[in-house]
Amino acid sequence: MFNKRSVIGLFTDEDSVADALDKVSESGFKSTEYEILTGTPYPDGTFGDEEPKHKLYRFPIIGAMCGFIVGLLLTAGNQIAFPLITGGKPLLSIPPMLIIMYEGTMLGAILFTVFGIIFESRLPRLFMGAYDTKITEGYIGICITSSPDKMLQAEEVLKNSGAEEVKRGWE
Amino acid sequence: MSTSQNTHEQTQFSKQADLTAKLVGLHVSKYNKNTIFLIILSVLSIIGLIGLIVKITNDGFDNPAKWGYYVTFVVFLLTTVQAAPMVAIAPFIAKGHWNRSISKVAQLFAPLGLINLLLFIPVLCVLPSLSDGRRTLWFFESLKMNAYMPHIITLISFICLVLLGIALLWISTVPDFAVLRENSKNTYNKKLFSILSNRWIGTSKQWFTQKHRIGILGAFYFMTLVILNFQISSDFAMSLIPGWIDSLYPATHTANSFQAGVATVIIAMYALRKWGGCKDFIGFDQFWALGKLMFALSLMWVWFFFSSFIIFWYGAKPTEKAIIELSMTGPYFIPFLGSAFLLFILPLLTMPFNRIRRSILGPTILAFFILIGSFLDRLRIYVPAYQLSDHPNKHNFYLPDVPKTILPDIPDLMIIVGGISAVILTYILLTKFIPVVSIWQQKELSLYKIHKKFHRTEVLVLGKPE
Repeated sequence: MFNKRSVIGLFTDEDSVADALDKVSESGFKSTEYEILTGTPYPDGTFGDEEPKHKLYRFPIIGAMCGFIVGLLLTAGNQIAFPLITGGKPLLSIPPMLIIMYEGTMLGAILFTVFGIIFESRLPRLFMGAYDTKITEGYIGICITSSPDKMLQAEEVLKNSGAEEVKRGWE
Repeated sequence: MSTSQNTHEQTQFSKQADLTAKLVGLHVSKYNKNTIFLIILSVLSIIGLIGLIVKITNDGFDNPAKWGYYVTFVVFLLTTVQAAPMVAIAPFIAKGHWNRSISKVAQLFAPLGLINLLLFIPVLCVLPSLSDGRRTLWFFESLKMNAYMPHIITLISFICLVLLGIALLWISTVPDFAVLRENSKNTYNKKLFSILSNRWIGTSKQWFTQKHRIGILGAFYFMTLVILNFQISSDFAMSLIPGWIDSLYPATHTANSFQAGVATVIIAMYALRKWGGCKDFIGFDQFWALGKLMFALSLMWVWFFFSSFIIFWYGAKPTEKAIIELSMTGPYFIPFLGSAFLLFILPLLTMPFNRIRRSILGPTILAFFILIGSFLDRLRIYVPAYQLSDHPNKHNFYLPDVPKTILPDIPDLMIIVGGISAVILTYILLTKFIPVVSIWQQKELSLYKIHKKFHRTEVLVLGKPE
């Protein structure tokens, strides 16, 4: 991670960025080696880049399943351990068990979601890469982060793709 | 690439740059530096603090009856100021676009919960422990519960709500802090915004993660606010009134909280539009949308209230009659009448009219009255609840005689005036560091919003990214 360098190319229009990304990709840079920097969130796929992948949805599902199982074991286990017929109903009555199972499911989903956010965010960002303050003014940046020997090629690709300015991150 | 496309994109780029410059300019302008107003607010806040010290010194914490108005005010702040961020949260989760201009106006109320958290400490000292024998949901005697469980659990919820609110505000403002970091000329500000922007550079992944964080933190804020409303209304009001058993009151309390939260944001919007230079961003659309929401919440509040009332009224057991007399027809009849009129009847009589609903001043005036109504509604419950703490029948299952009305004393009035001033002052001071109109959200909106000629008129075309 620390043996890497990065370079940023600044663009003013969205289609140029999309075309430039194609060229960067054709030049042999992997999708993990470049990223787009913007001052505002663009819809996924605007630049033809890969949509950010996350596994956030898995956390609440796993949490809900765990919570449901704990709720089931808690209610069923309790009633089997301390058998007490209430209101002439069966020992393992589903309606009252549902309440605890529902609570357990929701609690599990919530706790796992919180954990999931922290895990997915993976703070802090250790390697900052190249950056230009013009990003906040409306410029769109393509930042290529790779090994030092590929930096000349990266600069060349960005210049040929119509970048208005190319800036090195290590200078 | 066609020339027409190029022209559109160049315009889009220049629009983004202009918008950034305009919003940064708005943030650093002098609108929030009205020194005389700030001095007046500071003086009033100090008067409030003096009032609190006098109250603690004179009344102590052993006589809860003396603290009814204080508790009313703390709960009023909870149900107004701390409910206000919901205006930013609900439309975000529902993917609404109209609230982009006012989301920060609403979120800026979240840190004010810190003031209320401090004000809540005396309330904790005043609330009797469960060992006094009153009937609560904690089943103190049977379950051998800790006598301070209501205090502990409510405090935890309160702290969680405040922390969630601050986290929500910070996370949704990080991209704006990055803009201010780049545009600050002052070294101190540059350093401050660098820390607050937390290495934000605007990668696709950062935007993606931020969207999810805002959504999930917002959902948690909503849940915690509802839980806190339930805890406060049941442990800090209902359990203190002998024989009051009503599963709907916490829901009524929460519904009023949402109504009052919307009213708070409308008033803040009006002030920022009138004196804060936000006229170009906070417009008719936002007032109209929130006015309708406030009216819907008024109807929701009365539905909950009436559902409770009809059970007590038809039941007509001595306990139920006593509760109705205590909080409605008896010593607090005027506050009850005021709250019913301002929270329901007045909105019902005015909001159906287009001229009032579809305006900026109409919803604002109504919001002001709704806040007064909310205060009166809190008063008619919390003041008698604490008044009953030294009532001889407080541990009985019903209340045979209803106590007389008590009025606020001078320190109470000082605290109420000072507390409101402190909240306004802190809000204004926060706007010095946090833009009241979200820069990134406005820029995002400019990507999707165009005015297009449609035959002989012009229409607004709004794209939705999802």
